Amino acid sequence: MPRSSTRRHVAALSAVAAIGAFALAGCGNSSSDTSAVSADAGPCGTNDDTTLTVGLFGTFGFKEAGLWDAYKKVCPNITIKEDVVEQSADYWTRLKTRLASGSGLDDVQAIEIGFVADVVQNHADQFVNWNTVPNAAADKAEFYPWKWQLASTSDGKTTVGLGTDIGPEAICYRSDLLKQAGLPSDPTTLAQKWDTWDHFIDFGKQYESSSTKPSGSHFVDSAASVFSTAVYQGQEAYDNSDGQPDVENSDGVKNAWAFASQAAQDGITAGLQQFTPAWNKAFSSGAFAALACPTWMMGYIQGQAGDAYAGKWDVAPVLPGGATNWGGSWLGVPEKAAHKAAAIALVEWLSAKDQQVTMWKDGGHFPSNSQAAADPAVANAKSDYFSNAPVGKIFGDISSQMKIPPIGLYDTQIQQALTTQLTNVETKHTSPDDAFSAALDAIKQVTG
Amino acid sequence: MTVLSQPDVQSGEAALRPPAPRRTRGIRPGSRIAYVYVLPFFLVFAAFSIYPWVATAWVSLHDTRLSTYDQSSWIGLANYRNLFTNDFFWNAFRNTITIGIISTVPQLCMALGIAHLLNYRLRGRTFFRVAILMPYATSLAAATVIFAELFDPNLGLINWGLHVVHLPTVDWQGSRWPSQIAVSAIVTWRWTGYNALIYLAGMQAIDTDLYEAAAMDGAGRWAQFRHVTLPGLRPTILFTIVVSTIGAAQLFGEPLLYHNGLPDGGTQNQYQTLGLLMYQQGWTNDRLGLASATAWTMFLIIVVAVCANLWIARRRGRREGRRASIVAAVPEVTVR
Amino acid sequence: MKRRASSSGSGTANGGVLEAGWVTYVVILLVTLVSVFPLYYTIVMASHTNAEMAASRPPILPNMSVVDNVKKALELAPLNRGLINSVIVAGSLALGTVALSTLAGFAFAKLRFRGSNILLAICVATMMVPLQMGVIPLYMLMARLGLAGHLTAVILPGLCTAFGVFFMRQYVASAVPDELIEAAYMDGARPIRVFWSVVVPAVRPAMAVLGMLTFLMAWNDFFWPIIVLSSQNPTVQVSFQSLATGYAPQQSIVMAGTLYGTVPVLIVFAVLGRQIVGGIMQGAVKG
Repeated sequence: MPRSSTRRHVAALSAVAAIGAFALAGCGNSSSDTSAVSADAGPCGTNDDTTLTVGLFGTFGFKEAGLWDAYKKVCPNITIKEDVVEQSADYWTRLKTRLASGSGLDDVQAIEIGFVADVVQNHADQFVNWNTVPNAAADKAEFYPWKWQLASTSDGKTTVGLGTDIGPEAICYRSDLLKQAGLPSDPTTLAQKWDTWDHFIDFGKQYESSSTKPSGSHFVDSAASVFSTAVYQGQEAYDNSDGQPDVENSDGVKNAWAFASQAAQDGITAGLQQFTPAWNKAFSSGAFAALACPTWMMGYIQGQAGDAYAGKWDVAPVLPGGATNWGGSWLGVPEKAAHKAAAIALVEWLSAKDQQVTMWKDGGHFPSNSQAAADPAVANAKSDYFSNAPVGKIFGDISSQMKIPPIGLYDTQIQQALTTQLTNVETKHTSPDDAFSAALDAIKQVTG
Repeated sequence: MTVLSQPDVQSGEAALRPPAPRRTRGIRPGSRIAYVYVLPFFLVFAAFSIYPWVATAWVSLHDTRLSTYDQSSWIGLANYRNLFTNDFFWNAFRNTITIGIISTVPQLCMALGIAHLLNYRLRGRTFFRVAILMPYATSLAAATVIFAELFDPNLGLINWGLHVVHLPTVDWQGSRWPSQIAVSAIVTWRWTGYNALIYLAGMQAIDTDLYEAAAMDGAGRWAQFRHVTLPGLRPTILFTIVVSTIGAAQLFGEPLLYHNGLPDGGTQNQYQTLGLLMYQQGWTNDRLGLASATAWTMFLIIVVAVCANLWIARRRGRREGRRASIVAAVPEVTVR
Repeated sequence: MKRRASSSGSGTANGGVLEAGWVTYVVILLVTLVSVFPLYYTIVMASHTNAEMAASRPPILPNMSVVDNVKKALELAPLNRGLINSVIVAGSLALGTVALSTLAGFAFAKLRFRGSNILLAICVATMMVPLQMGVIPLYMLMARLGLAGHLTAVILPGLCTAFGVFFMRQYVASAVPDELIEAAYMDGARPIRVFWSVVVPAVRPAMAVLGMLTFLMAWNDFFWPIIVLSSQNPTVQVSFQSLATGYAPQQSIVMAGTLYGTVPVLIVFAVLGRQIVGGIMQGAVKG
């Protein structure tokens, strides 16, 4: 247990002094710094009774998918306790504090795409390097290459985490609202009509001009959702290939800003800020008909809209402008973890094909393990809630074509600054140029 | 901090008025036992308050980020120079003052009135006295969710009410003044009962005989409130003004949650306070050095604001021929 | 008894002098309603799903599904552990703060000693420093002391609220007349005895108020505990973190958890609320 390791050491030392080394081996569940004995400790990393702590933020769902119980069957001597913080931002603050002080770290720490670049650039030496673990080659072969690379230093020698999920994107939409507006609503037709952002925006204008659509309803939820999807379709998003912020020269930002502000000025957006209560309500109220939809968003929609809207939502097998990714995480093991070997074994098990298949089936997390993604249980999956859409095939196809631009330290804050200003274009009719320069001012506060 | 120090106040006051009938302090002059009384407090205080405070000052002179905490380099006063030439800082500074005024003044007036009413002989007074503290006990997150619903520009109860009486609806989130009023409403709701309770505790220290004497002199309720309650509460009122000023200057929880946990204080920073700016700099933008500089600048601003409060209170006190200092204040209840 | 010599410094047994009229009752009732409404609405939100809350006419009455939701919340998060820990933390903080603050507040108000002004000024000044930035050095200090993750790490820094000292100083200054203390000294009482049997009885209402405010502040404190504790040994606010799992947390369950976490606060209210009134009745200073 990390939180009392100092005291344990003191206690252990005095025990050694008093009774001799024999006693220490006897008390299996109290002292268990296993990194020294990892080599021949079997597949679980240790043969002692061990409690592993897993630091997560509120969106994983390993426990809910039954994986901790399953691991208990594989390794009966291992007990897993989650250490959860709801918001990933709060989680990251806490993780940074603990990394800075070098104490209080869990045996396994989740790393989100929003801060993986920071971990790679500033804390790589504090995490176990997955290129040097005994199973390194086998581990690496499992993942989409880009997923492995995002968690690695630029020389490729150090890798801080093994992937959990990825977020290939398509478009989720309300087929009932499109029908009501007198527009096509079947996924195949829409996939053709929504092939580019220009066509997507044109379709939105038709929706807005329909006399039969519900009053107050708009085509897409927000300009932000257009922007934060389109930005990753460029050669660069927020950073250049060295991982340095480069907003002004990025083709991704330039194009995405043009499409998003176009959508805002054409009035096809509902002007809602994502992840706010008003946005949450709109999944059922019908304030918008479509949004950019990574795999994990399907679960979010289902949770917010509720069972009454089953069959009204659908997924179109297309992403205007080309396939890309939104979100995803890794699991890392701190060098200072109390039970390093056991933690490595757990992370390898969680990243393996079968467990990632389970996480897709039970949690809606699309596998970052490419073998899992090809598994029939993933590839043939359909979603009852989303009008029986073949989501396994849709997202599998998209994830095999995805383009991943470089990421950097401040992507989260930069994206927040830009999408906030898009809200001003939508709701306060700020000119796109003024909004963009306001966003650059805010970004400068972050990058310094 | 000279305003807070005792000798200044006492000498100023000694020149002004004849010797006081009672001495404020000075039981057993030079009593060493006093150190024993304050020692436990200051021991804990030094370790867990002064130390982080000094550390913050140190950090404010570096380009610290939490991710690279041990690689921070000395940059002197650059963080402070950055602040004073920074539009975000001055915007937050203005917002802090306006929200501070909108939220504090009505709040304290209402608290005083409520405390006065609760000081009446009242059936179920325990219940009422405790009930007014409910806002302080309700989790801030739950409260803000509810206020955000009430003030929702589209579906909220308040705009619905305005619509019903044929008044134009208001953008309580996007526009500067309405959003500041909404944030102030949450602050006022949350802290009024708290201050009322502090006033109530102060009122109970006022001698009943004074009320009886006043009543015999034919003073009505209002006259009793003015001439007995208010003078008796002077130190408490000063205390709440100082504490509320400090609280207003550090305000960040309510505006943070009013924008769903985003620290920008609205899409145009229309209700971003200094406390929130500091939070954004330090925790969202990971610029601890800059945030620490903001913290220390806020400290200086608060010192100035508190001194201004005390100065005003002292001038009023002098005009009315009675002392009013945070440290020396003791009620000398007089009845006309 | 001689220390009853003075007639000042006390209210009445009934907590007031004037009989309340009906206007008073109406105003107080309104204030109470406004104060309690969000708690009530928390119950409403805890008994309805997201979809029900999003309906065009949102519900205004709670129902029995609040019980189920509390049960679900208890399965999701270690709320009971959090409650026990929070009672320990908030209780120790309330008791400790009241004790330290009353002692120091008495010294500042009634004893003359070298450096008292500077010490008090330092104390009030630190109240003006936003200590959020101090969290990093504080965590490192706690880690070095081996306290990170322990409840002690939450209790220790909270003990020294300058607010408490300042509050008690102001109250002692106005509620305890010097004559009373002089009289006790003339009886030959030692300082600690004077403090215990003269000052403490006179400032009981203020102690109760300070205890209550400290308890509540500690109960709702979030920022520091979440940094220094883990969800295996949480305070109640930290244990709420485990409620919202998955990408679409059900607000009703989060609210049910919040509600469950408020119950002990209501109990403390009931107990200390009586003290605030009762403290006056026993006011030993009343002649």
